[in-house]
Order: sequence, then structure tokens, then C-alpha cells
Amino acid sequence: MDFEALLRGEAPVILDGGMGTMLQAKGLKLGEYPEVAALEHPDWVKDIHRSYVEAGAQILCANTFGANREKLRRTGKTVEEVIPASIALAKEAAADRALVALDIGPTGQLLEPTGSLEFETAVDIFAQEVRAAVKAGADLVMIETMTDLQECRAALLAVKENSDLPVMVSLTYEERGRTFLGHSPAAAALTLEGMGADVIGVNCSLGPREMPPLVEELRRWTTLPISIKPNAGLPDPAGAGYDITPQEFACAMAELTELGVKCYGGCCGTTPEYIALLKKALDGRTIQPYERKTIPAAVCGPNTVVPIDRVRVIGERINPTGKKLMKEALRRGDVDFMLGQALEQTEAGADILDVNVGLPEIDEGEMMVRVVKALQGVTDAPLQMDSTRPEVLEKALRVYCGKAIVNSVNGDKETMEAIFPLVKKYGAAVVGLTLDKEGIPKSTKARMDIARRILDTALSYGIRREDVYIDCLTLTVSAEQEGAAQTLEALRLVHSELGLKTVLGVSNISFGLPARPLINQNFLTMAMTCGLDLPIINPNMEEMMAAVRSYHLLMNLDREAREFIAAYGGATISTSITATGGKQAAAPMGGERSLGQIVEAGLRGEAGECTRKLLESTDPMAIVDDVLIPALDKVGADFEAGRVFLPQLIQSAGAAQAAFEVIRQTMPAQPEGTEKAPIVLATVKGDIHDIGKNIVKVLLENYGYPVVDLGKDVEPEEVVRAAEQYRAPLVGLSALMTTTLHSMEQTITLLRKANLPCKVVVGGAVLTADYAKQIGADFYAKDAKQSVDVARQVIG
Amino acid sequence: MAATISISRVDIDEVLRYMGCPPEKAGEGLRALVEDCSRELLAAVHPRWAWREASLTHEAGGVRLESGFLLPGADLKGHLSGCSRAAVFCATLGAEVDTLIRRAERRDMTRALALDCCASAAVEELCDQIELELQSKFPGCFFPYRYSPGYGDLPLEIQEELLNLLDAPRRVGLCTNESFLLTPRKSVTAILGISENQLEPTHRSCLGCPAREGCQYRKAGGHCGL
Repeated sequence: MDFEALLRGEAPVILDGGMGTMLQAKGLKLGEYPEVAALEHPDWVKDIHRSYVEAGAQILCANTFGANREKLRRTGKTVEEVIPASIALAKEAAADRALVALDIGPTGQLLEPTGSLEFETAVDIFAQEVRAAVKAGADLVMIETMTDLQECRAALLAVKENSDLPVMVSLTYEERGRTFLGHSPAAAALTLEGMGADVIGVNCSLGPREMPPLVEELRRWTTLPISIKPNAGLPDPAGAGYDITPQEFACAMAELTELGVKCYGGCCGTTPEYIALLKKALDGRTIQPYERKTIPAAVCGPNTVVPIDRVRVIGERINPTGKKLMKEALRRGDVDFMLGQALEQTEAGADILDVNVGLPEIDEGEMMVRVVKALQGVTDAPLQMDSTRPEVLEKALRVYCGKAIVNSVNGDKETMEAIFPLVKKYGAAVVGLTLDKEGIPKSTKARMDIARRILDTALSYGIRREDVYIDCLTLTVSAEQEGAAQTLEALRLVHSELGLKTVLGVSNISFGLPARPLINQNFLTMAMTCGLDLPIINPNMEEMMAAVRSYHLLMNLDREAREFIAAYGGATISTSITATGGKQAAAPMGGERSLGQIVEAGLRGEAGECTRKLLESTDPMAIVDDVLIPALDKVGADFEAGRVFLPQLIQSAGAAQAAFEVIRQTMPAQPEGTEKAPIVLATVKGDIHDIGKNIVKVLLENYGYPVVDLGKDVEPEEVVRAAEQYRAPLVGLSALMTTTLHSMEQTITLLRKANLPCKVVVGGAVLTADYAKQIGADFYAKDAKQSVDVARQVIG
Repeated sequence: MAATISISRVDIDEVLRYMGCPPEKAGEGLRALVEDCSRELLAAVHPRWAWREASLTHEAGGVRLESGFLLPGADLKGHLSGCSRAAVFCATLGAEVDTLIRRAERRDMTRALALDCCASAAVEELCDQIELELQSKFPGCFFPYRYSPGYGDLPLEIQEELLNLLDAPRRVGLCTNESFLLTPRKSVTAILGISENQLEPTHRSCLGCPAREGCQYRKAGGHCGL
């Protein structure tokens, strides 16, 4: 019997049923770890497997669901003891009548960003299981009951990197059609098929009657066989057990043959009786080999699938080229800046975000990983990984949860050889630029030739045709005026003759000319009518989004003009584009409030505009020293005196921040090496509550202190490294819970050992001044305001 | 298995107190902001809970559950005196709440703080409803207030075992990290004692709370409720 043959055959494949409930029936106690049964009660386990084989199961899951080192930690047993014993028992019971799968369940800890388990640690935990199973002779791997697509990816990568075994992957969904973490079947299908799963499916949580919508959604997004292992109905609200009988289960399951489900088994509450009746009900049924329809071009994050079935905007702003503030942020390791850029773009209408963090003086790979992780913590928009270096692209693709876009390859053989294997391994889509070693060809035909070459090579690597997007390249019209028409013609041909999706960076078209928005907007409209699917633009430019919205309206893609009216209903749209540099009329100030009053009142919306106005007549440093700092001081003093409270303090800080942003844009760049040394902030290792630390950051920045924010759950070594690298005069550490105070102490000890000249200030709910002293801190700040006082005392 | 519980509102005054602002000192603007945040929060909440009944044995070192697990320390033992059974439960608002707060932190810290505090109030509301639901399952019985790891001398380290007992990762998607903090963040585990006999009324208090000294909730004239 082999797995391939089972899948190829016309008959449904029968899987086994529940293990945990069966073990409990044999005498396993509540709270006991079922995986240890292979060592302590081998006869129970073998009996259960044997009864499933006799019921008709063709694939057995070994009793290894939680046999990972994290979960086994409390049992005193090792992965190398439990997995071979469990697989041996299943194989014995199977006696060649059934295949045996290594069953991989979740680690039991949540991955970043909700939890603190790192992605690579998860890969390593699963890899250990896979290696043990390969040695023990498992026939395949079943990854199941996953609620986090990222954890699924970690397990799937571990299987792919440590074995040649076929692999089934199954997540568990709630009735709302999402996992506990909000991940969707569509995103799972796109991502997991891309990464090389052999079967995907649904198990646990729900009963067979709740399966159809989930199966249908999977079906829309995958060509793979589908497996289902539902529970014995929904949990009975009155107590233990589930609500449907073996007969009902079998009937409901048999109906799913209509939907083309290939593999059938049971999860919690199902027994050999369920499987026996299931086999009977499925007897004689054939599964129509599902019509090999094409799955539409699409990219996704774990929660959001973006089909490329209309114009989808790729936001271009996360890219340091020509952006002073972003370069500074990258040098400082300030990931928050990038997150702000991301949210601004998605709010403006970007569907996908391009991510480029290439600066010669930083470690691009490490920064890419940090930024991709952080971005996925705050935005659902799929990402486009933009780098010229394959090793950076691989790092980004590895940690990205979903189906990303790689930007880019070109017609050059070596580039394709370096990048296509990554695209294939991680199941990404890829942008192909119509250029090669010779440069950008002038003729449309030559560009088409390169596009064909890229497509053919991609196909030879097993990359789907729908995942190849072609960029016909925008040339600056002021330099080569005939270029724009050629680009548009090439775009039209790629769209109509090759039938591929197209990408185009639009903004370069107008470089060196006046009225750039006018040119950009018109070029974008022309490109869309030639078949452009994915414009790379600045979505914050209202003209550009207006062009996209108008195009959707006019092409009947925005049904009943809903989106257009939502965006513009009631608004007056200026039809004339003024020359760049044309001054906007300053918004009238209600009652002529001064900037100081605005900051004290915490009116963030007004602060920026008022500052801009003030800058016309006042020196920027004078605004900071004479207006902003005194206003913040007054609010700070009122806070200490109990006249204002934390929310007002933060609101004032927010207003001051808006003012500072305006001022920073107008100030010349500080000469290299003269910037103030920053304060390093971190929430200590093990702690994931960082809102307090983030409030401190906002306040410190508003008093003009540069801050390097290392985030939450930060290793002591990383704090030391940052304090050293930035020559920080002050390090601020935060811990909320009693269980993480020891991490704070460790971090301080390590800082002292490194003999760094920095002072340490600590804060957090369970800290006291005494305890702070005891663990070797220089200062204790009981609230955010006090941390500013400490900074003043230390730095001035 | 647990019945579905939904949360339709949070107490705005309570949220303001959690934010460190006495409700009577909050201006219209702040109150409107909190109300807006409470709507946004409630839309992102997916409350889930699980529970299990356990008989109790009072021992020298604490209270032992029938699964064999010892809940250590004198404080819980004192709290559960007179109780021969308990309902152990866990509850979570789900991971999407964490994402919502994280996103707000990058845009507007006041909103982030308000959302965070709305979430704390929502967890409390959820636990209150669970407590009522559980009480209704034991008619004629008496219940001291619910007790969570981190109260008194009951250590946070027992979170992992409580979640294992409740099969919480699989049933409701609730886990701990290596420091025994619950993830998703806005979650609770608790023990609700069950007694056949009338109990001396007890009140939750800040005495014995490790965060008492610098507590911003107390500063705003309330308590954290957790």
C-alpha cells in the first residue's frame, strides 16, 4: 500500500478516529499526558489502533499528537523515546493493512506576535519530531488541529527540510469559518499548497454537518485533495460528549463525497464504531477526480486573501530611497516608523505593501526579518519582499505567514537560478522585470521575449503561471519621451498574449517634470486600460487612488458604485491640479488657540497645522524650547499633582508628537555622528505586556530624547548589545508580572557585567522602589512622567 | 462544554478608572473616545471559555484537585475553606483583540490605552457572566468570589497545569508562554469554590496584591478587578 496510490485511486480514503477519548475509556486520567501511553500502556494503544484497522482505516495516526519536547517537558520523557515507540505500536497493529502517520499537533505555545515562541524555534521543535519519525519508519506525516497558519508553516517546513515523506495538513476552525487566531481556509489553502503540502483539510472543533462551507472555501483555493476529520458533532452543552451518533456521523460524512472530499476520518468523540459505519456509508462511492480548474492569481496574509481580479494597489512607501526619516529610522532600528508607514498606506487604500529596507550600513537580512514580523503583527495586507539580495529574500519569505510576492527577478539566467527556487520553496508569487544583462530593451518585442523567457523558466521550476507577474518597466518620460508608449504597448501584450498579471512602478514616469501628480495620474489610468493589475504607487497621493477608484467604477468592477460613493459621497473634489509647491490654504484656527494650548488640550489634529503656521515666523528650535517643552512640563506637573490623569497626559504627548513631526521635516539632517545618543527601551524577556513601555517611549520622544525601542520579550543579551552599539546613556526596562522580574534582574546583571557606562531605570506594575534597588537598578520610575524626570537627571 | 457567552457592553466608568482617570474628571472628549473604542473592541472580541468541575482535598500545603494537581499556598486554601468542590475555568477574548491594540499603539497611544482598558473591562464582564452561568449549574450552593493565579500567594506558575487540565489550547486556543503569562493576553484562569453551606461573606481587596504600591487603578479611586 502506498500513499500516492491511495490518493490516485477513485475510492475515498478512510482515516482513523479519536485517540484521546479512547485512551480515557481505557483508564487514562484527566490531566495525564496521553503521549506517554506508548511507554506506560502499550497494550491500550495497540488495541485502539487495531480496532481502527479492523473498522477499515487505511491510515493510522500514531499516538504522537503532543509528542514534542515542549509538551513532554513535564513528563520526563523525550521525543526520541516516545515517537519511535508510538510509531512501532501503530505499525504492529497495522500489520501492512494500513499506513502509519507521524501525527504532529501544536506545540502548546502560541507563536509571535500573539505569543512569544519564535518561528525558528517552532521549526526546530517539529524537526526533532520528524527526524525521530523518519528513523522509526513512518509512512507519512499528518499535521493537524492547528489554529495558527504560521505554526502550520513551521511544521510543514520541518517536514520538507528533514524528510521526503508525504504530508497532510489540517487546521481546526470555529463555526464562523476562521481558526481561533482568525486565520481563513482560503489563506491556508493558498499558503500550504504553495509550500508543497500533499493534502489539506479540516479537523476537530466542528461536526460533519458544519463541514460544507469550509470544504467549499478550501476547494475554491486549492487543487489538492481535501481531507476531513470532524468531531462526533458539536459538544453537548449539558456536559461531556458530542451530539451525534455513529450512524448520523456516517450519513453526514457520505454526503460530502458530492463536494469532492478525498479523505475521511474522525476526531474527538469518534470511535472505531464511527469509522466502521463511515466505511460502510462510503462503500462503492467514487470521488470524482476534481476538475483541474485553475486557482485564480492571489496573494495572502493569514487573515486576508487578495485575489488579483481587479486593480490592486501596492504601496511603495516602505523604502528608504530618497527618504531621510526612514533612513534614520533604519539606522536606529526603529521598526515603529515602518509600521506607521504601513498603516497610513492601508488606510489610504493600499491592498499590498512593498517592503524594502536596503541600506548599505545596516544588516538588511536581520532588519527584513524584524520588519516583516512586526508588520504582520499590525496589518493584514499581504507583503511584497523587495530586495536585490537572494539571502534577504529567503529570510523574509521564511518568516512571512501567507503567500508573498518576491520583487524581483529579471531575464538574467543567474538571477532566476538564485531566486526561483526560493519562490517555489516558500510558495510565493514573483515579479519578473523585462530586462536582462543587456539592460532594458527598447523594442516591445524584445521585452515580450524576456517576459516569455521568465515565464518559461518559472514554469520549469514548478511555479504556477498565475504566480508570475510581469513588470514592463517605466522609463522617465523627460529623458526618453518615446518610452512611455513602448511600456504601455508591452504591458498590453503581456496582458493579452501571455495572459499574465502585470506590475508597474508608476511614479518614475514624471521625474524631472513639473506637475508630477498630473502625469502620474494620467499614466496610471492609461496603464490600467492597457491591463495593469498591480500599480506600485504612493497611495497617500489622493490623485492616484482617485484614478484607481474611477477606473473600477467605469469598468463596472465597483458594483453600484459603492466604493466610489463611500470615498467621495459628500466630498468636493478639486478638479484642477495646481503646480507642485502650490501652497494649500491653512485651515482656519478655531478661536486662535496657541500651540501651547493645543498641546495642553491634547488636540492632535490641530497641532501639526498650527506648527506649520508658526514655522513661517518662528525658528524651529524656539518652538521646541519655548512652546512645546514648557507645555509638556505644565501637563507633567499637573499629572503629578493629580489635576490631570494618564489619558490626558498621553493625549498631550500625542499632540506634541504631531508638532515635532512637522518640525523634524523642516530641520536639516544632523551631521553624521552628532546625533544625541539614544535611550534604549525594552520589555524584558518572557514579558509580552508592553503598553506601559510604549507610553514611556512616546513621552521620552516628545521631550526630544531619541529612543531605540527593542520591543517586548527581549533577550538580556540583546539589551546589552543595543546599549553598547548606541552608547546609550540610559536603559529603560519594563516588566509587568512577578514571573518576569527575574528576567529584569538578569538583564541588569548582564549590563553591569559588560561594564557599560549606562544608567538603568526600571518600571512596571509589580515593581517597587525597594525591589528596583535590590535588583541593581539606578532608578525606579513609578509612571511614564517619572521616566522623563530620570532622563533629564541622567542626560540633561 | 461551555455555553456561548457574548459581551454587548463594557462599563465606561470602569474603563476610565483602569486608564488611571477618575470618571468624574474625564471630559466629554475622553468619554466619547472611550465609548468609540469600546464599540471597536467589542466588534473584535470572540469570547470563549471552558470549565471543569473538580472535587477538592484540603491539605497542609494547599488544596488538591481530584486530578491530583496541588494548588499551593495558604491564601487559596483559606479562601476555599468550606468548599468541597470547585469549578475551574478559563476565558479569553481571543487573539484578534491583541492585534487591534497593537495596531492602535502605532497610530494613537490614547486610543491604544483606551482599547487595552476596554479589553480588561470586557474580560471582567465575561468572567462575571461565566460565574453566573456556573452558579446556575449548582442550585442551592454557595460560592466565594472567583480566585485566580497571581492573587495572594497563588503562583502564576500553575497556569500551565490549569490550562492542561481544561484542555484549553485545543478547546479555546488559550496557552501560556515560558513565563506563565496567558496568550492571547486578554484572558483569565480562575477557580470558583462551591460549598453546600452558607459562607462568611468575603470581599476582594488590594491587600496582598504585589502591585498595590504603584497601582494606577487605586490612584483613580478603584481597583483592577483582576
